[in-house]
Amino acid sequence: MGYKKIKKDQLNTFLSELSKDYTVVLPSRSGGQVVFAPWDGKNTDFLDWYKNTIIPPKALFFPPVEEMFRFRKGEEGYEIEELMPDKRQQIIFGIRPCDARALKIIDMLFADTYKDPYYLRRRENSLLVGLSCNEPCDTCFCASLDISPGQSEDVDILCTDVSDNLLIEAISEKGSNLLSEMSGLSDAGSEEESKAKEMRKSAKEKIARQINLSGLQEKMRSNFENREYWEKASKKCMACGICTYVCPTCHCFDINDENRKKEGKRVRSWDSCKFPLFTRMPMENPRHEKWRRMRQRYHHKFEYYPMNFGTIACTGCGRCIRECPVNVDVTEIIGGI
Amino acid sequence: MENKLKEEARKLLKEGKVDYIVGYGKGTVKFRTSPLITNKEEDIEGLVINPFIANNLSRYPAEIKGKLGIVVKGCDSRSLVSLIQDNKVKRDDIVILGVPCEGVVDIKKLVEQIGADIDQVKEIDKEGDNLIVKMDGSKKTVLFGDVIFDKCFGCEYPTPLEYDILLGSEVSPRVELEKSLKKIKEFEDINAPERWRYWKEQFSKCIRCYACRNVCPACFCERCFVDVNIPQWITTYGSWQDNLVFQLIRTLHVAGRCSDCGECERSCPVGITLRSLQRKMVEEVKGLFNYETGVDKDAPPVFTHYEATDPEEFIK
Repeated sequence: MGYKKIKKDQLNTFLSELSKDYTVVLPSRSGGQVVFAPWDGKNTDFLDWYKNTIIPPKALFFPPVEEMFRFRKGEEGYEIEELMPDKRQQIIFGIRPCDARALKIIDMLFADTYKDPYYLRRRENSLLVGLSCNEPCDTCFCASLDISPGQSEDVDILCTDVSDNLLIEAISEKGSNLLSEMSGLSDAGSEEESKAKEMRKSAKEKIARQINLSGLQEKMRSNFENREYWEKASKKCMACGICTYVCPTCHCFDINDENRKKEGKRVRSWDSCKFPLFTRMPMENPRHEKWRRMRQRYHHKFEYYPMNFGTIACTGCGRCIRECPVNVDVTEIIGGI
Repeated sequence: MENKLKEEARKLLKEGKVDYIVGYGKGTVKFRTSPLITNKEEDIEGLVINPFIANNLSRYPAEIKGKLGIVVKGCDSRSLVSLIQDNKVKRDDIVILGVPCEGVVDIKKLVEQIGADIDQVKEIDKEGDNLIVKMDGSKKTVLFGDVIFDKCFGCEYPTPLEYDILLGSEVSPRVELEKSLKKIKEFEDINAPERWRYWKEQFSKCIRCYACRNVCPACFCERCFVDVNIPQWITTYGSWQDNLVFQLIRTLHVAGRCSDCGECERSCPVGITLRSLQRKMVEEVKGLFNYETGVDKDAPPVFTHYEATDPEEFIK
């Protein structure tokens, strides 16, 4: 199927059509921040201002806090009430190529030996409509990680903003099926297609920040015991959890039972290896000092994840660089090894 | 100021008067600075002083072993003095390099004023009372006084009160207390159910990253109550009620130690208006005890000390 297009001022009708069968979630401004939220049925002005969200789209699949099930102690043992995500289909409209890749990366973990039903059900019930980046941020370095800001193989449908039009391209079969059912789209001309290609190329060229990955895993292994390096690298770190919580691939969680008398609930919530309390519940956190915790985070992303799943768990979205209160920069730390 | 700082910092390291210099370096994000902590003379060239030195560095002395030469603005110096009062930092272990401060630029406000994305901005220069913002092919002038942090409007001590070396000439305080407290006063006029709704919304956003606590120089407990899990004080996950409880307890814990440096609010990744809580406590402490944080290193900390004239209306 070739490229389709729709006038940007007609996006409303396109989204309305999608809303019939799906909950459409897209970038919106709420409480002073940019978040993915259910579409209000009117506004499409995000096309003018949206760059990316601070809380990554992983939160739509792996929410910061999630009740897993409730339990009650009855006469004959425990009664369990399942609390699975509902089956309604949703469309994530406007996800950036880096964040779509991030989902692909954490899919590997959540669908590994233990299949996480909560995450996977939401993934199965979702369709990703990506939005190419024409103007990457100063903090982006996705190009170093084999991600093109203007292209994506990790979404179902990809949209590219080409002056007055949105160019729409089916990427997956699921995306192709959906587009073929949609009215109100017209075929794009070759002129628009070449314009989109140009924009994609120029978006990639605009990315100035880089991360040096050559021979990295080998270097990381031999640098592991280099306490001086990690102490220096972590000196200014405030040991908060921002970098892990705004990271689209950080996926550690904690599980707690909250019970009162005979009933309770099991709750899972984001956890961060930057915290002293991390893994303290089962036994002890072996990483008492800040530098050990920082080392763990980078080794997990750039050494252990590639060992386990064959891919680096970083997409160059730049959130950790931008949101860090003291500007700890992953490209400097990895580059310095 | 910057040259004087480099000169003094080099001297301090060379003469062995300090083990580390803690100052500001150029950040890797546009128009941001980043703490520069070094024991090497060759790094000193990287020190900067400019209208973007937002971080309060006084968190570091309690953590880094050895003698430190530390760069502080007026508000930061008060945090540091407060830590000295609390015996968390020894005065003799630090050499204070004071920066008389005219205010620090709030990038969020700047972005609003120029109506453009920060990524489009190429250069920002301060010329007198103005900031000249250069973008691709265009230039905008904004008033410096319009884009500084709210806390800076009401800053009564822009020149550090405690220092060993003052890096520039004293700055006279801005007398714009009204502007600084505007949001808080407006908020006080709202009725209680609305205020409750507001905080519910704010704390529903909280992701418990604990940046507010970790950047705060006054949050110096060796083990924070939220990290105590036997028994557990509040849930580890973020229900808005527990988020609120965490923040209220933190607010009360740092009352009398908060210098209104605003780092909690600046650091919050989800934009919770935390400074209004802290600032309110600053007002309360001043009103009840006539005490200001960190203005006198020899004064006893307000809540470790009893005066017969202390208000006691709450005891009924």
